[in-house]
Amino acid sequence: MISFIIRKFLLLIPLLLVISFLIFLGMELMPGDAVDFMIPPDALATISQAELDLLRSELGLDAPFLVRYGTWLVNLVQGDFGYSLQSGVAVSTLLANTLPATLELSLAALVLSTLFGSILGVVSALYKGRLSDNVLTVMGMIGVAIPQFLFGLIMIVVFVFKLGWFPVGGRLTVGNEAFLQRLDHLILPSVVLALSMTAGVMRYCRSSMLDSLNKEFIKTARSKGLPPWRVNLVHGLRVAMTPVAVLIGFRLPMLIGGSVVIEQVFQWPGVGQMFVSAVRSQNTPIVMMVAFFSVLIVLIASILVDIATALLDPRVKLS
Amino acid sequence: MARDALNRKMDRLLLLEEQGRLSGNPTNRTLRKIAANPLAIIGLVLFLILLLACMAAPLISTYGPNAIDLRNRLSPPSRAHLLGTDQIGRDIFSRILYGGRISIFVGLGSALGAALIGVSLGTYAGYRRGALDALVMKVSEIMMSFPQIILVSILVTIVGQSLWNLLLIFILTGWPSMYRMARSQMLSIREMEYIQALQAFGIGSFTISFKHMLVNAVGPIFVNITLSTAMFILQEAALSFLGLGVPLEQATWGNILNVAQDLNILRGAWWVWLPVGLVITLFVMAINFIGDGLRDAADPTQVG
Repeated sequence: MISFIIRKFLLLIPLLLVISFLIFLGMELMPGDAVDFMIPPDALATISQAELDLLRSELGLDAPFLVRYGTWLVNLVQGDFGYSLQSGVAVSTLLANTLPATLELSLAALVLSTLFGSILGVVSALYKGRLSDNVLTVMGMIGVAIPQFLFGLIMIVVFVFKLGWFPVGGRLTVGNEAFLQRLDHLILPSVVLALSMTAGVMRYCRSSMLDSLNKEFIKTARSKGLPPWRVNLVHGLRVAMTPVAVLIGFRLPMLIGGSVVIEQVFQWPGVGQMFVSAVRSQNTPIVMMVAFFSVLIVLIASILVDIATALLDPRVKLS
Repeated sequence: MARDALNRKMDRLLLLEEQGRLSGNPTNRTLRKIAANPLAIIGLVLFLILLLACMAAPLISTYGPNAIDLRNRLSPPSRAHLLGTDQIGRDIFSRILYGGRISIFVGLGSALGAALIGVSLGTYAGYRRGALDALVMKVSEIMMSFPQIILVSILVTIVGQSLWNLLLIFILTGWPSMYRMARSQMLSIREMEYIQALQAFGIGSFTISFKHMLVNAVGPIFVNITLSTAMFILQEAALSFLGLGVPLEQATWGNILNVAQDLNILRGAWWVWLPVGLVITLFVMAINFIGDGLRDAADPTQVG
């Protein structure tokens, strides 16, 4: 087991090298370099080309491509992620400022959607063909077809403008406000994000639960005279949960990538919003670092999924 | 119970065969199964209505999609403007129709383009295996480890915003999943005996894979194309909403919705964003219904 995990993580290294190279290549392909952005446009006219070249060589920008990639990679490993082209603030600082907000939002949504999705999926499976199943199925169909941001907008109109239950958007920083007031801002975005992620979990959980209820051991449990709730919720659910656990693992990457749109809708000051504004203003270091970390999370999550499947299902062999 | 149904069906088929009324054409069976699926029919009808309405936009609406009427800003739905006007007086109804043309074009075009690349690579590499397959597999693995929206945004930053660039980017990011799907189909088909027979005849691998194997994987490929079309339409809408999609001058479903970021419009002018949102949802739902219907129809294990 341990050697399996170590091997998986070692295999990650070449993949990360390739991806970091691609990301560096992407940064090189974008117009402008650090010098162009360091010097304000009005000052540019007063500076001679020779001075610019001197600055470039001092910063190591005239070195061969592979040398620059090497320097960049060494800096990356040491925790120096570069600087924002606009404000000059270190990308690590920006990430440290925005990451908590995103994690707060998407963790809440991940937990809620898993909870909603598996409960509704099980209910739907137990009442297959009945009214509650049909209602949930239709809701699931709408859920996968409606654009996430449209759902968010409708919720804002209903719960903020019409009912006035929640504040418009934004997020209060930790320590400044009481917990309940902060919760006020968190509830709507996280519920919207959760509900839009629920439909998938629900459909998956329903079919997995139906699968498990059709197995022989359920008949055995019934014929033993166990009460139906025990058969369904203890014997059936346990087997049905294995693929659902895997699905949850595959959703871990959504911690960063999944909330980009919702953060924009609710003006939530997280990584997603920073990413979108960085893309708009071609702020390359930020764009690339967010991309790099989201890929890192995806790859780590896929390893966790492998481990979880092996732990939950004794038939799976690690190799 | 299921067996009884199957027996009855077999009896009926035998009877038809004896009477010589059963055609041997398997596509008829698929078509019949789709026709028996009410959701698929609803989806198809809805899809055709929306598609035709968008194609016939100049005939249906009397306003151009970009005709500005500054005296009629944000006017609510009326007889003159069926769905009202936006903040610079453009008719929402005709914008939805004209915007649909581009949104549907981007969705369908990207799905077809991605399928063309992914399926051709998957068909050939899935049959031949070897170094080509390993290489393409690795590339697709790397591309799929980026969250979709982040990969698309990066590419938008590199190549710039335009309709054709967006189409290109969607194709570029969409082919890996098509490749994997086609490849896995090929991997199971290549184990069949008729492939061995073809190989024994000395037929080239190009002919075997594209002429004799691809036909047997057409079902899942079509399902995948429909579902990808829905996904790309949703992605175009999300990207345009973020301001990273098709340039705002061009009306698309996503671009019409973009103005809903303005809280005043969101609060006071529902007709600007709600109808187009519903159209997107309906259209995507219609495509999903068709896709699900195709999947059930192409699946021989289901009695239909």
